[in-house]
Amino acid sequence: MITLWRIFKTGFRNLFRNAWLSAAATAIMVVTLVIVSFFAFSALLLNSQLNAIKDKINLTIFITDEAKLDDIKNLQAKLLADNNVLSVEYISKNDALNKLSNRSEKDKEIAKLASEVGNPLQASLEVKTKDPGKINQVVRIAKQPDYSKIVAETSYDEDRKKIVDRIVGFSGGVAKAGTVVSVAFLTISLLIIFNTIRMAIFTRREEIEIMQLVGATNWFIRGPFIVEGAMYGVIGATIAVLISFGLMSLAKPFMSSFLFSTSEVTQFFNSKIVLIVAGEFLLGIIIGATSSLLAISRHLKL
Amino acid sequence: MANVILLDRISVMYPNKTVALSGVSLHITPKEFVTIVGESGAGKSTLTKLLIKEELPTSGKIVVGSIDYDTIDKANIPHLRRRIGVVFQDFKLLPNLTVFENVAFALEVSGVKTSEIKRAVPKILQLVGLAEKSANYPAELSGGEAQRVAIARALVRNPKILIADEPTGNLDPKNAWDIIELLIKINRFGTTVVLATHNKEIVNTLKRRVITLSRGRIVKDDKVGKYVL
Repeated sequence: MITLWRIFKTGFRNLFRNAWLSAAATAIMVVTLVIVSFFAFSALLLNSQLNAIKDKINLTIFITDEAKLDDIKNLQAKLLADNNVLSVEYISKNDALNKLSNRSEKDKEIAKLASEVGNPLQASLEVKTKDPGKINQVVRIAKQPDYSKIVAETSYDEDRKKIVDRIVGFSGGVAKAGTVVSVAFLTISLLIIFNTIRMAIFTRREEIEIMQLVGATNWFIRGPFIVEGAMYGVIGATIAVLISFGLMSLAKPFMSSFLFSTSEVTQFFNSKIVLIVAGEFLLGIIIGATSSLLAISRHLKL
Repeated sequence: MANVILLDRISVMYPNKTVALSGVSLHITPKEFVTIVGESGAGKSTLTKLLIKEELPTSGKIVVGSIDYDTIDKANIPHLRRRIGVVFQDFKLLPNLTVFENVAFALEVSGVKTSEIKRAVPKILQLVGLAEKSANYPAELSGGEAQRVAIARALVRNPKILIADEPTGNLDPKNAWDIIELLIKINRFGTTVVLATHNKEIVNTLKRRVITLSRGRIVKDDKVGKYVL
C-alpha cells in the first residue's frame, strides 16, 4: 500500500521536476489525440449522415387507379415476406392528398386545387428496406407479370436507379477510406509518441541503473514511469479536448455551408460528447502508460 | 546474519576472454576494515560488483552472511542489495532528488514507514555533516559533499557491510581524507567496511588489513598492510 502511494508520489514528482521533457511528451500527445479524435469524429459524423441518407432511400411503388384493394393487400403481403423489407405502408389516394396538404402552406393550396379536379394523385406502397443496396430485388417482386395490372411504376426506374446506386456505392467507399486513413494516422501517431517517451526514458537510463543498485525492485522503478506516462495522457487529453471543442465551434459555420445543417452536426456532437471526451482520456492514458512500460523494460535487465 | 564474506576460488572471465579475476579466495570476518588495492584493471571493481550481484562469477562460490549467491533468484537481488551498503566513485546520486530525498529513497524502496524516514534521514545527514544541505540538489554539491550523501544513503539502512569502490577517486586529498575518516567512524560502530582504492597515502596511513590484487589474482594479504606494487 505504502509502495503504491510512493510510486504515484514519485511519478508526479518526476513529472514536475522533468518539466521540459514532460512538456515535450505532452505536446506530442496533444497533437496525436487531436488528430485521432478529429478523424474519429469525422468518420462517425460522415457515417451517421450517410446512414441517414440511406434511410431516406425507400422504394415507392405507384398503384394504378384501377387496382382492387385485395390485390394491393396481396402485393403488400408478398413484399413483406421478403427478407430485405422492413415495412410496407399503403398510402391511398386520399392519404396522398392529406400528406401533400400537410407538408406546407403552398402545398396545401396545390392539394386544394388537386381535390377540385378529382385527385390525380396516385395511391402507393411505401417500402422501407434494410439494405438499400439490394433494393432492386424488391423491385423485381413488384415487376412480376402478376402485378402488372396494379403496379404503374416504381421510384426505382431509370434515372433514380443511377442516383440510388451511386449513393450506396459512395457511402461504402467513404466508410472504407475513412477506416484506412484513421488506422494509418493512429499507427503513425502511436509510433511518434512511443518514440518520444522512449527517448525521454533513455535520457534517464542512468537513474534507472542507480535505483537498481540502491535495491529498488523492478516495479518500484517501473511504476513511477508508468504513472508519468499516464499523466502525459491525462494532461494531453485535457488540452486536446479543449482544442477539439475550440475547433468544433470554429468549424461549425463552414460545415453548414457544405453538406450538413449546423443543428444536425451540433446535435451529433452533443450526443457523442461523452464518448469523445472519455475516448480521448482513455486513449491518452493507454498510449502513455504502455509506451512507458514498453520503453522501460529494456533498461531493467538485471 | 553473521556478516562474514566468503569468496571461494572465484573466477570472472568476460566473453572476449579477458580475465578479470582468477581463483580468488577471500575470507572477511565481521567488523573488519579491509582495503583492497591494485592498479586499474587489477579486478577491484569486479570484486565489488560481485558482492552486490551486479556481475556473476564464471566459476566459484560467494557466500555473504547466510546468503549463498548461487541460490538467490533474480527477484531477490533488490533485497540483497538493501542489506549491503555500496558507495561508488561517481557517487551515483539521483539528479532530480534533493539530498534528503536521495537518502530517503534507500528507505522508501525498502518499504520503511514515512514517519521512520523523517526520523532517520536527518540523523544520518547529521552524522555525515550535511544537515544544512538537505534541500540541495546533487548538482549544487561539491564532490566531497556528494560522496558523503552517497555514504549517508548507504548507511541509512544500517547495513552490516559497507562496500566502497574508489570512493575518493574523484576527490581532492582533504575531502578524500574526510571520507576515509567517516568510513573509520562507521567501522567503529560495528559495520564491516570493504574499501577498494589505489590511493597509496590512504592505505599506508590506515594501517589495516590490505589485500593486493594484480591481474585478477591476490598477490598479498597482510594483517597490517602497506601499499606495495
